[in-house]
Amino acid sequence: MNASALVLGRAPRRGRVGRRTAGHLFTLAFLAAWEAGARAAPSYLLPGPGEVALRLWKFVGSARDLGHLAASLEHVGGAIAISFVLGSLLALLPFYLPVFRFAVERRLGPFLNAFSGIGWTLLAVMWLGVNSGAVVFAISAVLVPFALVNMSAGLGAIDRDTVEMAASFTRRRGPVFRLIVVPSLYPFIFATIRIMFGVAWKVTLTAELFGGNSGLGYMINLARQEYDTATIVAAIVLIIAFVHGMDRLLFAPLQARLERHYAR
Amino acid sequence: MRAEASANGLAARLIGEGLVLAALAGWWLAARGLPEFVLPGPLVTGERLLDLFVTPEFLQHTLASSWRVVAAVMLSLLIGGGLAFAAEAAPGLDIVVSERIKPVLNSFPSIGWAILAAIWFEPGDFGVIFVEVAILTPFCLINIGEGLRHIDRELMEMGHSFTRRPGRILWRLTLPLLVPYLLSATRIAYGIGWKIALVSELLGAPTGLGYLMLRAQTAADSPTFLATCFAIVLIFVAGERLVLAPLERRFAQR
Repeated sequence: MNASALVLGRAPRRGRVGRRTAGHLFTLAFLAAWEAGARAAPSYLLPGPGEVALRLWKFVGSARDLGHLAASLEHVGGAIAISFVLGSLLALLPFYLPVFRFAVERRLGPFLNAFSGIGWTLLAVMWLGVNSGAVVFAISAVLVPFALVNMSAGLGAIDRDTVEMAASFTRRRGPVFRLIVVPSLYPFIFATIRIMFGVAWKVTLTAELFGGNSGLGYMINLARQEYDTATIVAAIVLIIAFVHGMDRLLFAPLQARLERHYAR
Repeated sequence: MRAEASANGLAARLIGEGLVLAALAGWWLAARGLPEFVLPGPLVTGERLLDLFVTPEFLQHTLASSWRVVAAVMLSLLIGGGLAFAAEAAPGLDIVVSERIKPVLNSFPSIGWAILAAIWFEPGDFGVIFVEVAILTPFCLINIGEGLRHIDRELMEMGHSFTRRPGRILWRLTLPLLVPYLLSATRIAYGIGWKIALVSELLGAPTGLGYLMLRAQTAADSPTFLATCFAIVLIFVAGERLVLAPLERRFAQR
């Protein structure tokens, strides 16, 4: 930064505007390249941005398509809730009973962490059939290790002095858990849910494609069989917009607020 | 005090190993009452697991997946690292990378890449590695980008006072300072490669463990299916313990 910039404070603003322009130019160049590619290739290989936008518009007005989106949201929500509870219980076990630390952290955790997501999906189909239960099972199985690792980190970071102080007021574990342990875990609970939300969308479509009878993954599977690439790309664009939008507009500001509140 | 800790450690170990044995016994008991296509026993699954590492017919799938994951991890490190360096080096590119490329790659569903690759490319190594690289690149980009942001600026300034040659500074200073982040990116990419990116082999590959898994599931060949799942666990753990952990220890000492 030069002296005039320091005095006038204008260089950073110009820089910001320039950077934003670069971003918009990149988006335009990408759309132009996509359009050019789509003109050179048949629609089933690469539908153009206009065709995809039209399909997205139809999606928003179609009750059946919105039903698939709602089913995917249900799968993601259900799996996050189940895996969060299971992962947290597994993390709490060695916290209260240290004799289980080796079993959870050295045996169960690494096994769950290393088991392939595709394996869980196909296993769920074999055992539970093609239905929402199989989808939720597969997503939950993939998410449990994320909850376990994050909540274990949260429990490990709890201030021992505060817990000890609380124990000097009462010997009952319930109030200490409710009033000290859980509030100390809020930032980790939130970070865990945020990570799980991102990962869940990565595996949900796979689970729905192979083991579901509803949801965006199921819809993509039907579109794939009909070479309806515009629907596939429209579903992908919708997911990117939804996941990024939720992360940026909901999770990031909430996490920043929590971090400010719990900053030491 | 030490004796008490040692006794606790022994008890914890006994419970941990007992849990594994109990799970195996429970599996064996459950499998006795069920047909093999629903739940094969641990013995028949163990035999097939051995086949995956010994019999040429199965070994080709294990080797195909392994080399694809390794190649994809290396390519993702190169592409993710290149993007992270470009964002740091050119002021106009940081917003392109951090607000355009990264969010899209990071939110792109993995099966979306697999389906598009199956439409665009012939079944084979190229399509599979393309999908794996597309899935792994954002993880490498995020880690290496974090590393570049946290680099010690004073150390870099000192480096610039010794030489003005960018190549020398990159080789002697920037890359060594980035090693922990590069290792972390490698570890994450390797894990995701085996756990999630294997989806690429379900749709666009004539070989590989993902392909074998889908073929076994379709044919209700549960022993092969379960053995493939366990083979992935074994290869994943072996890669972590025999390659990544020693590398991390070696660089942590320096």
